Amino acid sequence: MADAATIAWTPRGSWAGILASGEFGTAGQPGVTIEARDGLGIASLIAGDGRDEALAQALQGHIGLGLPLTPCIVSSARHSLVWAGPDQWHLIAPDRNGFDELLRDLAPLAAISDQSDGRAALRLSGPKVRDTLAKGCMLDLHPSAFPVGTAALTSIAYMGVHLWRIADDPASGDAVFEIMVARSMAGSFWSWLSASAAEFGCKVTATGRG
Amino acid sequence: MRITCPHCGARDVQEFTYLGDANPQRPEGMATTEAAMHDYVYQRDNPAGRHRELWYHSAGCHAWLVVTRDTRTHAIETVETARARAQGDAA
Amino acid sequence: MSAKQPFRRGDGGLIDRASPVSFRFDGRSYQGYAGDTLAAALLANGVRLVGRSFKYHRPRGILSAGPEEPNALVELRSGARREPNTRATVAELYDGLEAQSQNRWPSLDFDILSINSLLAPALTAGFYYKTFMWPAAFWEKLYEPLIRRAAGLGRAAMEEDPDHYEKAFAFCDVLVIGGGPAGISAALAAGRSGARVILCDEDFRPGGRLLADKREIDARAGSEWVADALAELASLPDVRIMTRTTVLGVYDHGIYGAVERVSDHLPLPPVHQPRQRAWRITAKRAVLAAGAIERPVVFAGNDTPGVMLGGAVRTYLNRYAVLPGREAVVFTTGDDGWATARDLTAAGANVAAIVDPRPQVDAALVALGKAIGARVFAGSAVSRASGGKALKQVTIRDASGRETSLACDLLAVSNGWNPTLHLTSHQNTRPVWDEAIQAFVPGTMPAGLSAAGSAAGHFGLAEALVDGARLGSEAAADCGFAAKPLAATAKTDPDAVSISPVWRVKGGKGKAFVDFQNDVTDADVELAAREGFRPVEHLKRYTTLGMATDQGKTSNISGLAIMAEQTGKTIPETGTTIFRPPYTPVAIGALAGHHRGPDFRPMRLAPTHQWSKDLGAVFVETGLWLRGQYYPKPGEDHWLTTVNREVLAVRNGVGICDVSTLGKIDIQGNDAAEFLERVYINGWKALPVGKARYGLMLREDGFVMDDGTTSRLAETHFLMTTTTANAAKVMQHLEYCHQVLWPTLDVRMVSVSEQWAQVAVAGPKAREVLRGVVDAQHDLSNEACPYLAARNITVGGGIPARLFRISFSGELAYELAVPADHGDAMMRALMAAGAPYGITPYGTEALGVMRIEKGHVAGNELNGQTTARDLGLGRMMSAKKDFIGRVMAGREALIETERPALVGFKPVEIGQRLRAGAHFIGLGKPAAMEHDEGYMTSVAYSPVLKHWIGLGLLKNGPKRIGERVRAVDPVRNGDIVLEICNPVFVDPEGARLHG
Repeated sequence: MADAATIAWTPRGSWAGILASGEFGTAGQPGVTIEARDGLGIASLIAGDGRDEALAQALQGHIGLGLPLTPCIVSSARHSLVWAGPDQWHLIAPDRNGFDELLRDLAPLAAISDQSDGRAALRLSGPKVRDTLAKGCMLDLHPSAFPVGTAALTSIAYMGVHLWRIADDPASGDAVFEIMVARSMAGSFWSWLSASAAEFGCKVTATGRG
Repeated sequence: MRITCPHCGARDVQEFTYLGDANPQRPEGMATTEAAMHDYVYQRDNPAGRHRELWYHSAGCHAWLVVTRDTRTHAIETVETARARAQGDAA
Repeated sequence: MSAKQPFRRGDGGLIDRASPVSFRFDGRSYQGYAGDTLAAALLANGVRLVGRSFKYHRPRGILSAGPEEPNALVELRSGARREPNTRATVAELYDGLEAQSQNRWPSLDFDILSINSLLAPALTAGFYYKTFMWPAAFWEKLYEPLIRRAAGLGRAAMEEDPDHYEKAFAFCDVLVIGGGPAGISAALAAGRSGARVILCDEDFRPGGRLLADKREIDARAGSEWVADALAELASLPDVRIMTRTTVLGVYDHGIYGAVERVSDHLPLPPVHQPRQRAWRITAKRAVLAAGAIERPVVFAGNDTPGVMLGGAVRTYLNRYAVLPGREAVVFTTGDDGWATARDLTAAGANVAAIVDPRPQVDAALVALGKAIGARVFAGSAVSRASGGKALKQVTIRDASGRETSLACDLLAVSNGWNPTLHLTSHQNTRPVWDEAIQAFVPGTMPAGLSAAGSAAGHFGLAEALVDGARLGSEAAADCGFAAKPLAATAKTDPDAVSISPVWRVKGGKGKAFVDFQNDVTDADVELAAREGFRPVEHLKRYTTLGMATDQGKTSNISGLAIMAEQTGKTIPETGTTIFRPPYTPVAIGALAGHHRGPDFRPMRLAPTHQWSKDLGAVFVETGLWLRGQYYPKPGEDHWLTTVNREVLAVRNGVGICDVSTLGKIDIQGNDAAEFLERVYINGWKALPVGKARYGLMLREDGFVMDDGTTSRLAETHFLMTTTTANAAKVMQHLEYCHQVLWPTLDVRMVSVSEQWAQVAVAGPKAREVLRGVVDAQHDLSNEACPYLAARNITVGGGIPARLFRISFSGELAYELAVPADHGDAMMRALMAAGAPYGITPYGTEALGVMRIEKGHVAGNELNGQTTARDLGLGRMMSAKKDFIGRVMAGREALIETERPALVGFKPVEIGQRLRAGAHFIGLGKPAAMEHDEGYMTSVAYSPVLKHWIGLGLLKNGPKRIGERVRAVDPVRNGDIVLEICNPVFVDPEGARLHG
C-alpha cells in the first residue's frame, strides 16, 4: 500500500509549462521585458458594512499600509494593497512566509479568501510596454491618464485582468506594469501577450519554479 | 459606447453586461401575489428616449449600475451604483 | 527604364526613380517605381483595360486615383494570400506584385460573358426579382449556381490566411481624419497647444490634393509646405501620424474604428509584423478632413477605358509622373477641369478640346484654352465616348444639337466634388444639400466631431487651411488646452471652384452608367421611377445602385439627380442615402485580429491539465474549459470501450476525475445563511458547520437556473459550488441579488474557482485511497466523516485541503480540494496511493454515464425550460420562506400534472440504442406534433446494466412507470419502443453511497 510519506508533493505554479526564460521576437535590444511573478501570497479582502475603518487600522498596524479607496495600489517594502472593487482589496506579499498568519489576524475584520494559487501574475516593462498592452488593453495607459500607482480591473483579449502601474524602472526610466490573470487562462493570455510583444523583441524571465 | 463606472471610470461597453429596465421593484415576502410578481418579471416599458437600465460591470469591478440613457441617441445622463440607489430607496 | 514605361514622364512626380519595381498583371511583366500605386504603374505601361464589369462584363479601365474606385478591382497576390476586389488605385506597388483581372473568362481581352451586353434588355433593374421567381424548386438547383458563376467579382482564397492580424486601442484628445491641407493644419494647431493628437491618413503619403495639384502656399510649392508641416508634427511628443490607416466608422461616445494596413505594401509581412491592425480609437474630439470625391457625368459609353475623372488625371500627371493619355479631351462643368487641361499640356499631352456646358466661361479660362491650343466647346457636352476596350473617340454636342467627333485616348471628366462626409452620417444623421456648391454637406454632426476643408464643402485651399487650424484649435481647447495664436492666414494661388454640374447627357448611343461597379444605367433609374420605386431607399434596393463594395461613392449623386429629374423634384427633395460603417471594405481577418483558431476565445485549463495530458486524455470543450473526456489505454479503439472500462472501474474499485472546473464561490457574512435561503429553493439556516447540502436555484420566472452542493465551513462562511457552465452566470446573479435586491444583507462573496484544484475520488475503495494522501490525524471513518461531511484537513504532510463527502456517481465518493499549485501533485499522489486498487482516471463521459445511471440531472435537464417539479425535485421547495422564483414556479401551467416530468427509459428490445433528442409518442399514434408527449434529454450505455438507458421529460411520466412509449427520432430515422422506468437505474436504495 502506498504511503503518503513516499509521495512527492511538488507544487506546480501558474506559469509552469507556459513561460520559459529567454528572448523571442525581433532581435536586438528588447522592447518589452516580462518577468513571472510566481509564488506570491494573494488574498481578497472584503470589508463588512461599516468595518472599513477597523480593517484599515488593522492593516496600518500589521503592514503599515492604508486602504486605497479608489482604483490604486499602495505598497510597502514587502506588501501591497490593491483596490479590487468596491469595499474589496487584494493583499499581496512577495512570498507566502507568514501569509497565513497575517490572514488569520485579519479574519475577524474582513471576508478573506486566499487566492495565492488562483492567479498568474507578470511584471512588464521596457520602452514598448505600452504599445504591447495597447493591442488588447482597452484602457488609456498614457502617463497623464494612468500615473504610477493606478490600478484597474478590466479585460484584455476577452480575459479579465487586474492591472496596475508601479514605480518606473530606476535604471531605464521605463514604466512598469503588473498584471494578474486567472490561472486557468494563463496559457491563452500568454498566447496573446507573446504575439503582441514579438514585433518589439521580448525578454522573459521565468522563475524556474515548478 | 462608453459607460462611466462610478468606481472604475469611463470604460468601453464591452466590459459591461446589459440586463434591462431598472425601475421594477421586486415584491418581497410570502404575501406577494402572482399578479404582482408577474408584472415584476415580465412587464417592461420600451421607451424611445430616457431609460433607466441596469448594467453589470462584469469585466471590471462587478458593480451593478443604474444607467440613465437615451435609447435614441445613446447619450448617457447619469450612472449610479444600484447598491447606493437601493440603499437610498430603503432609507 | 522609361522605354519600358511608355507613358511615364521624363521627370517629376513623387515616385522614387532610383527604386524600379517589377510586377505582373495577368501574367505579363511590367516595371514601375516605388511610390506608385498599381493603377499608376499600369497606366505608365499603357495598360488601360483592367477589368470586366459585374453584370454585362463590359471592358473597364481606371476611373479614379483613390479609394472611390468602382472599376479597377483586381485580385492581388496568389494562393492563400489572394485578395479579391482590391482597388488598384490604392494598392501600393511592391517588387514582385502579382495581380489578376477578375470577372472575365477565358481572358480579359476576350470574355465570353460579355454577350450579357447583348442580353441587356433582359438584365435591367429588378431582373432577378422578376425572372427567377418560379418554379421555386429551380432556385437552389439551377438559378443560384448559374447566377453565382456569372456574377460576382473576385475569387476569395480557399486556403487559410497565413498572415497574422491584430487589434489595438488608442486614446487621444484630438483625432484628425485625413492628411490633406485641412487635416495637417488641424493636427498642427491641436498639437502645438499640447493636446494628444492622432492624425490618420488612408494614403501612404500624407498631403492629400497637395500631392496631386500644382498649388502654392505662401509662394512655395504645396508639397514643400506638407513636408515642413509633417516634420513639425513629428517633432511634437504627443502627436502620432498614422499613414495607411483608414478611419472606417464613427461609434457612440467618441469611438472611431480604423484599419492600419501595416504590411499590405510589402510582398510579405515582415517577421513578427501583422498584415493589418484594427484600431479602436477613443478621442475626446475629432476633426474630419477627409477631402472630397469627384463626380462623373452620366453619358453614353462613360465607362469606356480612357474616361477618367479630371482630378485623377492630375494625380497621375503630377504625383506619379504618368500620362493617362496623349490625345486628351477635357469635359468639365466648372472651372476645375481647366486646370486639368493646363497640367496635361504641361506634361506633354495634346489637349484636343475642352468641353464646358456653361454657355459663358470666364474669359481667362478661354484664353488659357487658346494658349494651349485646345478647341474650346462652350455650351456643349460630351454625349458619347466609344472605342470598346480603349477610348478612341468622343462625340461633342452643342446646344443646337450639332455634333462633333474627335479622336482621343483620354477623356478627363470634371463635374464638381462631393465632400467625403460618410463618417458624419454613421450616427444616423443625414447630410444636407448646399445649393451653392451643388453638393451634400455634413448635416447634424456626431458629438465631438467637426468637419474641415473639402469634407465640409469648403473647396478652396485657403479655406481648408483656415478651417483646419480653427477646428484643430477649438478641439484642443475643448480638451482643456490653450490654443496658440494662429499664424497669419496663408496666401495661396487662386482656387477654381465655380461649378454648374450636369448630371447626365442624354441622347448618346449606348449605355450610360450611373453605378459602374453594379452596372446600373440611367435607364435602370428611369425604369425604377416608372415602376414606382421612387423613394431613394427603394431606388437603391430595386436597382442595386450604391450597393456595391464602393457604396456608391461615385454614383449615388447621379442616381438621385436622375430620379429627381424623373419625378420633377429637386435633389434634396428626392433625398439622400445615409452611410453606414465601414467607409471602405475591411478584411474579416482585421476584425478578428488575434482571435482565430485556438485563440478564437480564451481557453481555460484546469490545474490538473498537464496530468491529464500525460495520461493521453482526449479533451472536450465545455464552455471555455478543456476537460478530460476519457482516458484511452493502448488498444482501445473506440471511445465507448474506454468509457465502459472507466465506469466499471469506479463501480467496482476506485476512479478519479478532475472537477476543478466547477464554479466555487466563497460566501461570508452574518447574513450568509439568510442570503442562501433567498437564492436557493431549500433551507440553509439549519445546516450544521462541517456539512454539505445539495442546492437548487431558480430564476425569478420559476425555472431552474443551476444546482450544486454548498458547504458550511463556519457559522458565517459557506462555499457554494456551481456547474462548470453556469459559474459566471451564477456569480452575476448573486451579485444582482445582493446589490440590487437586498443591499442591507451582510454578505460578501468572491469567486475562488481558480484557487482550488478539486478531484472526485469515487468507488468502493475511495476511502482506502484517500487514506494514502490525507494526513494521519484526520479520521476518515464513516462515523467521523459521514455522507455530506465537509472538512478542513491537510494532505501530503501539512498542505491545507478541503474534503467533501459528496457523490455524483452514487458510489462512496469524496471531493478533495487543494490549492491549485498542488493540483498536479494531488492527482499523481492519488494515482500512487490508488495503484494497489487499480485506480482509474475517468473523464466527463464516464461521469455522465454514472450520473444518468443514478438519475441525477445535469445540463441537458437544466436547460432553462424545466422546473424543480419537472425534475422530480419539487419537494425540495421550502414552503416556509420566500426565495427567488417561488411565486412564479407556482403558476398554474407550471404545476399542471400533465407537464412533462423526469423519468427513466430503457429499450424493450434490450439491444437497441437510445438517442437523446428523440420525441415520445404514444404506441399506435402517428408521429405528429399533436401526439408529442415529451423528449429524451440524456442517454448512455450502462456497462453495469449492459444496455442503453435514458432520462427524459414525459407527460405525466412518474405516474406511468412500467408503461411503454415510442421514441421517435426523425433526424436519424429512429422509432423504437421504450419502457418507462424509475430514473435511478443503479443502486436505488443508495446503499453504496453511505458505505
